Amino acid sequence: MSDLELEGRRAHVTGAASGIGWAIAQRLAAGGARVAISDIDEAGAIARAAELGSGHLGVRANVRSMDEVTAALAATVDAFGGLDLLVNNAGIEIGVPVVETDEADFMRLMDINVTGVFRCTKAAAGALAEAAAAGSDAAIVNIASVAGVGGVPLLGAYCASKAAVIRFSEVCAIELREAGVRVNAVCPAFIDTPMVQRLAPAVAAMTGMEFGDVVAVKQGRYGTLEEVAEVVAFLGSSEAGWTTGSHYVLDGGLSGGLL
Amino acid sequence: MAGRLEGKVAVVTGAAQGIGLAIATRYAAEGATVVLSDLDADRAQAAAAAIGPGATAVGCDVTDEGQVASLIAGVVEGHGGLDVAVANAGVAVVAPAVGQSLADWRKVIAVNLDGVFLTLTHAAGAMAASGGGSLVTIASVTAQAGSPLIASYAAAKAGAVNLTKTIAVEMRDHGVRANAICPGFIDTELVKPHKQTFADALGLQAMGIPDFDAFIAMKQGRYGTEEEVAALATFLASDRSGFCTAGEYNLDGGLRASLL
Repeated sequence: MSDLELEGRRAHVTGAASGIGWAIAQRLAAGGARVAISDIDEAGAIARAAELGSGHLGVRANVRSMDEVTAALAATVDAFGGLDLLVNNAGIEIGVPVVETDEADFMRLMDINVTGVFRCTKAAAGALAEAAAAGSDAAIVNIASVAGVGGVPLLGAYCASKAAVIRFSEVCAIELREAGVRVNAVCPAFIDTPMVQRLAPAVAAMTGMEFGDVVAVKQGRYGTLEEVAEVVAFLGSSEAGWTTGSHYVLDGGLSGGLL
Repeated sequence: MAGRLEGKVAVVTGAAQGIGLAIATRYAAEGATVVLSDLDADRAQAAAAAIGPGATAVGCDVTDEGQVASLIAGVVEGHGGLDVAVANAGVAVVAPAVGQSLADWRKVIAVNLDGVFLTLTHAAGAMAASGGGSLVTIASVTAQAGSPLIASYAAAKAGAVNLTKTIAVEMRDHGVRANAICPGFIDTELVKPHKQTFADALGLQAMGIPDFDAFIAMKQGRYGTEEEVAALATFLASDRSGFCTAGEYNLDGGLRASLL
């Protein structure tokens, strides 16, 4: 599947050696983009890039390090001759009640999920603005979560971080608008990932329902990695050329219903 | 490249001009069979003819349940089903809320809210009967905030967004998705005649902003285009957005993102 609006786009996806990030990298590459896969798992990033074929890049980046992030973005610009699209995907979760959450764990999550987005945005903004000045539809897509739209028990730190990402995306959108860089967030609900399966027993214990039943009742079914990647591809392409400062939810109706 | 809506049957209300016409045109280009409905049947007819094969037109007043029912029934009968319905038809009255006549209020609510109710519910019923489909409501960012001079329009759009979400939740198990698109200001016939009125009401002169166009440039970068709304409407109509339902999707150049 090749899409004219993704053809030749130079993209960087963080945390892309697995899960949603990897699905996004595959989708962008399938549409004709060149993709830099960064991950704290350097070997995984390099292997995934090789899996996509020639013309892609695998690079280490721990989003907790400004130096590593700066180097990874610079390597991307070097390899591709510029950058049109940054997807901030790297993130972690903690699935325990707020009062049982360790302060250090809370701060670590914030450092990855929120400050990590800030670091990558800061490191990429110059290259994105340059691309925009040269006529590209430059964009940032931040992977937030429906947990940033509403509260989810056991996900106190995660919810706070994703709400922060949504609001941060808005400010970036306004500040970078004149430079021609669009910034949006994507908010998926429960996708059948290892991250979600780790949460399942605790959610089941708290709600008194099997986790699969919770998912079926509230969002119809699990979303798929590919469905998240489609929304990212849309917002990351010129098809969404006037969309900035928005957060696009895909959640099977989870946040759209009251009960 | 195969179209994104290949094999789908779509109906678009208010499709003789503006955003509705852009959506119908894009849908046809993406391989859909499109029925353009409009209060102005002749104009819809001409628009369908200009789009070419795959597009037909039907006159329909969306405030009349009988006409909407027969529009949907006609599409199902003529094309073997219904996959996509876009509730787009809308009108606006531009005047302060205080002092506005009940008749003007009702006129806007009738088209922009009753019309959406009739379109979505009749279309959803037809879709459920054939395995599902996608409903797209063309709302507005005015649904999300106080909107001077267009109280009835904004209130109707807010109602339409909420109605869309309720139908989405009610119809999920029937395979029917429903989403709302909330554009910022597009330079359409709905906006063009009223720029000076808005400029005066907002006191732009006193703020040193020359006119409404300059204000728009500050708030949302530029006017959006009808084609940009059509691109989002295409995504939401397509199977690529399969997990998107009860959603409210803004495209507004950052208008809503900023408090200032």
